[in-house]
Amino acid sequence: MAKPLPGRVVNQIRLLRFMANEMTQAELGERIGMTRQTVAAIEAGKYSPTLEAAFRIAQVFGKPLDEVFQWEG
Amino acid sequence: MAYREKTAWLTLVCMIVAYVIYFSLVLSGQVGPRLLDIVWTFGIVASIQAIVVIVGHVVLAVSSDADERARPDERDRAIARRGGSASYYVLLVGTIIVGVVMPFSDPAPKIVNSALLAIVLAETLRHVLIVTSYRRGWHG
Repeated sequence: MAKPLPGRVVNQIRLLRFMANEMTQAELGERIGMTRQTVAAIEAGKYSPTLEAAFRIAQVFGKPLDEVFQWEG
Repeated sequence: MAYREKTAWLTLVCMIVAYVIYFSLVLSGQVGPRLLDIVWTFGIVASIQAIVVIVGHVVLAVSSDADERARPDERDRAIARRGGSASYYVLLVGTIIVGVVMPFSDPAPKIVNSALLAIVLAETLRHVLIVTSYRRGWHG
């Protein structure tokens, strides 16, 4: 199997929360069925959410997925 | 620090302290060779450890927000799976050594204590992986 290309998932959740009237991590977590700590870990790039959770997050902000998460190679 | 990370730390520290004491007693020859001696000593150590862990969990639960104690989400489950799958292999190797190899070469007390050691090592690895996954992140 070929070695995967290096890179990581980055996200704009902090900015999008700010633009959504300073939505708290706890509020976002509640809306997507996650704990505040997990939202904080996603924001800090310490956890990559499942595709389903990523779509839920994008849905909360009313944005397409690629405006919330990007691949930084 | 996340509530589940705190409970993982609590369990890990209690386990290390308890079984360092237990295996120190075994290695210094203070635990007799009979099964009853081993079960008695292990039972006391395991009971004290369980009580401390339960009390610690209660204290952590009382001092944490309801949000923190919420049901485990996908990250909690992914981290728990990581710990469980890695510790499974430690337990598997321990079981092969204790159950397949040692009965042909070692006395019963050594086999019993080796089995307990395999369980302790597997559980320790599980909790170390849980703690480090919360600390450093996990992209499983």
